[in-house]
Amino acid sequence: MAIELVMPRLGWTMEEGTLVEWLKQDGDQIEVGDMVFAVESDKALNEVEALDAGILRIPPDSPAPGSVLKVGTLLAYLLEPGEEMPTAAAPPTAPEQAAAAPAPALQAPVSTDTAKKRSGPSSSPRARRLAAELGVDWTQLEGSGRSGRIIERDIRAAAQKPEVRVSPVARRLATELGVDLTQLAAARPGKRIERADVEAAAQAPRPEPDQVVPLSPVRKITAERMLASARTSAPVTLTSEVDATELVRLRSQLKNDSSTAARPLPSYTDLLVKAAAEALSEHPELNARLQDDGEIALSAAVHVGIAVDTQRGLLVPVLRNAQEKTLRQIAAESAALIEAAAEGQLGPDALRGGTFTLTNLGMYEIDAFTPIINLPECAILGVGRIAPKQVVVDAGAERLEIRQMMFLSLTFDHRLVDGAPAARFVQRLKQLIEQPYLWLVN
Amino acid sequence: MRELTFTDAAREGLTEEMAKDPTIFVVGEGSGARGGNFNTTLGLYDIHGPERVRDVPICERGFVGMCTGAAMTGTRPIVDFMFTDFILDSIGEMVNQAAKIQYMSSGRIKMPLTLRGCVGVGGSAATHHSGNYYPFFTHQPGFRVAMPATPADAKGLFKTAIRSDDPVLFLEHRLLLNAKGPVPEEEYYTPFGEASISRTGSDITVVAVGLMVAKTLEACEPLEAEGLSVEVVDPRTLAPLDIDTILTSVAKTGRLLIVDDTYAPCAIGSEIAAQIADQGFDELDAPVRRLNGAHTPIPYSPPLETAVVPQPETIAAAIRDLMAE
Repeated sequence: MAIELVMPRLGWTMEEGTLVEWLKQDGDQIEVGDMVFAVESDKALNEVEALDAGILRIPPDSPAPGSVLKVGTLLAYLLEPGEEMPTAAAPPTAPEQAAAAPAPALQAPVSTDTAKKRSGPSSSPRARRLAAELGVDWTQLEGSGRSGRIIERDIRAAAQKPEVRVSPVARRLATELGVDLTQLAAARPGKRIERADVEAAAQAPRPEPDQVVPLSPVRKITAERMLASARTSAPVTLTSEVDATELVRLRSQLKNDSSTAARPLPSYTDLLVKAAAEALSEHPELNARLQDDGEIALSAAVHVGIAVDTQRGLLVPVLRNAQEKTLRQIAAESAALIEAAAEGQLGPDALRGGTFTLTNLGMYEIDAFTPIINLPECAILGVGRIAPKQVVVDAGAERLEIRQMMFLSLTFDHRLVDGAPAARFVQRLKQLIEQPYLWLVN
Repeated sequence: MRELTFTDAAREGLTEEMAKDPTIFVVGEGSGARGGNFNTTLGLYDIHGPERVRDVPICERGFVGMCTGAAMTGTRPIVDFMFTDFILDSIGEMVNQAAKIQYMSSGRIKMPLTLRGCVGVGGSAATHHSGNYYPFFTHQPGFRVAMPATPADAKGLFKTAIRSDDPVLFLEHRLLLNAKGPVPEEEYYTPFGEASISRTGSDITVVAVGLMVAKTLEACEPLEAEGLSVEVVDPRTLAPLDIDTILTSVAKTGRLLIVDDTYAPCAIGSEIAAQIADQGFDELDAPVRRLNGAHTPIPYSPPLETAVVPQPETIAAAIRDLMAE
């Protein structure tokens, strides 16, 4: 077997030496103890003796005498008779390669087997057993144990994720570019992720980050009050479809009355405030407030809160004593309140003291909904759109008509009032809307 | 259920056994009319007299040798050492005679000898009265070693010890002697080699010995609030050791801490760790860890004495640290 002759380390501090000359020729038989070549280190000129016997073979590409060489650089071989120089299998170590590796004398004996076993992250025995059971490739995982050890929970987490097959370059690139490999893998199941995939994903437009808006004061109050209502009240919503044809007609007549053209035209909301005030006067248990002392205050006066959508958010100005006001008064007052709300000029008093709330989403083509009670009030009326529908007006005569129909949605707090009285209130309101002339008597 | 102290529970067991079997007798310094330094024989002298509840002079090797001979003739002697530290004076008789005679006689001679005493660190008993020594006896073939952690087990294990045909060391931690706990009214024997689960949990297994069971259970309270679920295993007897129960628990949790107040080297913790590393290797999700008393003679100074053995805080810290592995 070929024995290598290398640049020897002739002192502990020696890093390199000069091959001065060969003392034997290529092809000479060398015996143990023969002086084979001369080396000059920074200390002195040394002749190097053979520790083994054999035929000296100096490869053609061996460093020329006079070269300064790193310790460990291969110079020649000692061969058995007839033995080939191992040039093809193991080319002579180039000086720069020798520089990278420590001198053989100081090299720790590391077998390639051991090196292979130590590659990859450390892992607990339990994790490896589980990985085998679940078929998880743990060699690519990042461990969450101390010093990165892969432990049971890492395997379980990996087992629940889709399998990610990825090239090492792609994995490194993904970390650098912040690309989520799991998403990439999920998008193309079964395909191995390569460098190009990661680069493409990195260039793909990212979703816009969420716009973060601080809570405005109005939003904050609304949030607190809605949450309080949702948490503490026992809401029930009743819906009823109402024939608003007469109401539409009434409004159209008011609109066409030239003598009052200068005054605000009552909106449907105003008409409903008026009708609700009438009905509430007859059903005071719905015109109620839950007091701090736990008692229920039934109010004779009807103060109707009107939900208004403003740029600052939802505001509910209160129209007071609606039960004693004319439709014209209600129209004028509500117009003023809504304008003040829109311009942010409502005083705190204007937002307090309601006994009932009305919220109209009809203009947004909403039919029915479940409003949230405006505590401490007992009930809130949701008003839907008015839309023409084909309706059976006389079942006996099998007569259909196109009528202006509308849904009422009353949410009431079942802690304060029961379903039947609330239903009777809705029924009465329905009647007042369908026959607005009934108001005239009051 | 009624509550008894360790001492009262074990004495109740002794009373029951002595009433049943006239070959049972107790020897010890102060065990006779005085009823024992720790009241282990209180009242029994009045019932059975000096022949069965016998005072002996301060001569451990003598009375252990005598009782070993008596056991060979078919009686069931109980040697009450008070402090186990003084068992050292009788080691020759115990190891060379009591532990070997069954083997040397090919099983023709039995050795129903019970050796009892208190062990452990606490109460500033200083270095001559704070020894544990049980790992030494688990190391020797022939001995049984029982370490109760509850009054119920004190009674049940002691009765089993008295009934055993092998030499048994029945060792109670001194700080537990007056600790109370529920003890069944009806008669029972606690079998050797069956660990008990003192607390069920799923995140980590703690094997605790003797007094350490109570201290570990105390440590579990704050840990539970942190969301850590600790399983506590009390081996009850160290020889024979119920490794199966520990293995089953480790298979569930993947983590093992052994809490033992005596020294770490070559002790019960190292034995359990080695067996689990061998038989339960694939179950382990973290290194096996031990928490032991400091490897030092025991100081008299109360703060130092507290510092050299595991306390609930240090046990909790060790559990947290192992969970971080």
